Amino acid sequence: MGRYVLRRVVLIIPVLFGVSLFTFLMIHLVPGDPVRVMMGTSGSAEDAERIRNELGLNDPLHQQFIRYIGHVLQGDFGNSIRSGQPVLREISERLPSTLELTGVAMATAVVVGLTLGVAAAASGPRADAAIMAFALLGISMPYFWSGILLILLFGLKLDWFPIAGTGPMALVLPTITLAMPASAVLARMTRSSMLEVLNQDFVRTARAKGLRERVVVIRHVLKNALIPVVTIIGLQAGTLLAGAVIVESVFSRPGLGRYTVTAIQARDFPQVQGIVLVSAAVYVFVNLTVDLLYAFIDPRIRYQ
Amino acid sequence: MEPGMFIGKWNRRQLLMGGAGAMTVFLPFASAARATPVGEAETGTPKDGGEWTVGMLEEPDTLDGHKGGTRVGGDIMRNVVDGLMAKDHDGNYVPALAESWEVSEDGKTWTFKLRKDVTFHDGTPFNAEAVKFNFDRILDPATKSAVAIGQLGPADTTTVIDEFTFEYKLKEPFAPLYLNLTDCGFTSMFSPTAVAAAGDDFGRKPVGTGPFMVEEWIQGDRIVLKRNPNYNWAPAFLGHTGQANIETLTFRSIIEDASRIAAFDAGEIDQLRSAPPSEISRYDESGDYWVIKNLAQSVQTFEFNVTLAPFDDLAVRQALMYAVDKQSVLEAAVDGVGVVANSFLSPTMDYFWPGMDDYAPKFDPAKASELLAAAGWADSDGDGILEKDGVKFSFGAFMMSIEQFTNAAQVIQSNFKDIGVEMTIGTAEIATVISELQQSKHQADVFGYIYAEPDIAFLWFHSSQIGNGLNFPHIADPKLDELIVTGRQTVDITARAAIYEEMQKYVNDIAFWIPLWTPENADIFNKRIHNASYHSNGFTIYTAAWVD
Repeated sequence: MGRYVLRRVVLIIPVLFGVSLFTFLMIHLVPGDPVRVMMGTSGSAEDAERIRNELGLNDPLHQQFIRYIGHVLQGDFGNSIRSGQPVLREISERLPSTLELTGVAMATAVVVGLTLGVAAAASGPRADAAIMAFALLGISMPYFWSGILLILLFGLKLDWFPIAGTGPMALVLPTITLAMPASAVLARMTRSSMLEVLNQDFVRTARAKGLRERVVVIRHVLKNALIPVVTIIGLQAGTLLAGAVIVESVFSRPGLGRYTVTAIQARDFPQVQGIVLVSAAVYVFVNLTVDLLYAFIDPRIRYQ
Repeated sequence: MEPGMFIGKWNRRQLLMGGAGAMTVFLPFASAARATPVGEAETGTPKDGGEWTVGMLEEPDTLDGHKGGTRVGGDIMRNVVDGLMAKDHDGNYVPALAESWEVSEDGKTWTFKLRKDVTFHDGTPFNAEAVKFNFDRILDPATKSAVAIGQLGPADTTTVIDEFTFEYKLKEPFAPLYLNLTDCGFTSMFSPTAVAAAGDDFGRKPVGTGPFMVEEWIQGDRIVLKRNPNYNWAPAFLGHTGQANIETLTFRSIIEDASRIAAFDAGEIDQLRSAPPSEISRYDESGDYWVIKNLAQSVQTFEFNVTLAPFDDLAVRQALMYAVDKQSVLEAAVDGVGVVANSFLSPTMDYFWPGMDDYAPKFDPAKASELLAAAGWADSDGDGILEKDGVKFSFGAFMMSIEQFTNAAQVIQSNFKDIGVEMTIGTAEIATVISELQQSKHQADVFGYIYAEPDIAFLWFHSSQIGNGLNFPHIADPKLDELIVTGRQTVDITARAAIYEEMQKYVNDIAFWIPLWTPENADIFNKRIHNASYHSNGFTIYTAAWVD
């Protein structure tokens, strides 16, 4: 188990390096000049060129990358071209909002999804059909559509929740929006996994032993059924982080997602690289946790 | 446009009597940009205190105007800093931080006599040293100024003459300096003490002399301003002394149009900026809000790349100028909320020549066809598209994927199809569009600008701005270059007006732009505000306003 963990942790470094290099190449090879975007329709060619030189943007690419990696290893992620502020600082101001939304949405999706999945698998055909129909709806609705619908109904017409901004009340509608597709996916996954396990011999044995159905389902079936579901939860973390970009824009939340879109449009190289690196680290960490959880749940994995 | 009556505290009569010897006193004039009152200025006591929340489209990248490039930053900062001069409701330049000013006859030396009773929010006194500090900071390469440095023109020296007299010398005359020092979003006067203390962080919480102070900036969410209790130097035309009535001014950025409108309808924000044209009529008809509209200092245009066939032929370009139904373009792009443009300047900009509407080609497809035929284009194979020397008249127009642009382009595409010209529409996001147009990768484009000074001609038309700048048509015309340079160096307004009139005609004649429309901006205000001023540059002055 120890070796397993160590190996997984060590692998993070080449992954992050690869992500950095790939992002750097992508953002630099795509057409677009951050200085020109920053100036908009108000700057002259001479001023643009001067600032580009001062920021080292006219240096050869490999030189810029080596300089960047060198700084990153010392903890300096550089300054945003647009605001002049340290990238790490701007990220750390916005990351909590995104983590809050993604975390609460993830927890909601897991609770709602698993409950519905178990209920669908363990109930009669009508309840099963109803739950699966609901899940289909959940997967089909795009974030900006469901988000704006919720705003219009609960924010504007009923006035139960604020439309834009921060705070616990402002978290409700974005969480519902973000969690819906994820809980639908988890519900379906849980249900099918449960059904598979319910058909296995050891379940028949458990029932033959005289155990109550509820004990059978929760103590024996669920634990086994969870294995593939846990993997999906790990992957959903990435989907939720990506979905947060849209949901944050719709609900005007000051998070990392919206910030990323602006950074890319502005070709703010240090910002984009910083965000991708941090996001990749978060994603890698979540999946490491999932892998460890996996090994914990299923002893067979640990000894591979 | 009539010349204003006052220059600082001198009047016109004194001027005509002989002025000040070797120094000519510069005559300010009524600019086309003017302000609209918001909420009738009622008699009766303004209410003290209260808060007002503005919902904007985007968030500024920094509030340090010396470094930053966004207009929205400038709009917010107009409440936090004052300019050396201001513009009144009729568009006259009037004293603000400068009591009076003079420009030498050669237009290169500008001398400002400053008010003596002004302090920055942190208590630092405002004086000529402070003004020099700010000018120097903008000009310092270490500041990496994006826009402000260009606004100061070809700088030579900055000198403190005495405690309240500041002198700025230029290498060449630079007429736009007047407007640039009034539109203080970029050429702001900041407290030298605060700049030194805050270092790189200054852009988060700048310190100026204005009626409001920056209280905090919650990144991605809102910027909160609190009134400056010591403020007592509002420009005279506002008729207001002492601190602002409103206690708290908040600016929130809500990117999504639907969310911003919903937040306004729900009362979460009090002022809706950048209202989409389709929504404006709803607010107009309800009568429950102040709907303030004004023509933007902006022109959206169709541009030809004059170095790429078939647009390297002047006759072809001139022909196509008759082929565009600009009224339909206006309807399609912005629901008609705006006016058709025939000049490269908007009607609310200085030196706009109203004669352009008659001078420019009118929509006349028959004439367009006639001119194209004379240039050698004919439909020999009957497929509906013109050819010349075996080449079809087919080209691509490139633009940002903004609905206004693509809607306009579709109308133009249809207009061109009617006369046998095939146009395809390509889109991308802003950085790609600018980059590819700079590299001459497309034969035509649809673009637009927002800019207050007619010197926009330099950025968009001067040959030095090809490749790395905004000269997407790649036009390199010596006569145009000369007009532009003379225009920006001529400080005398009558002479300058004549140059820009000639320039507007000439730009039309060499046909590398088809100006399309000038949008009308609208801000929607909750009716609980009184006595605010909406300036045609697109920002609101809250100094004398009060809220219920």
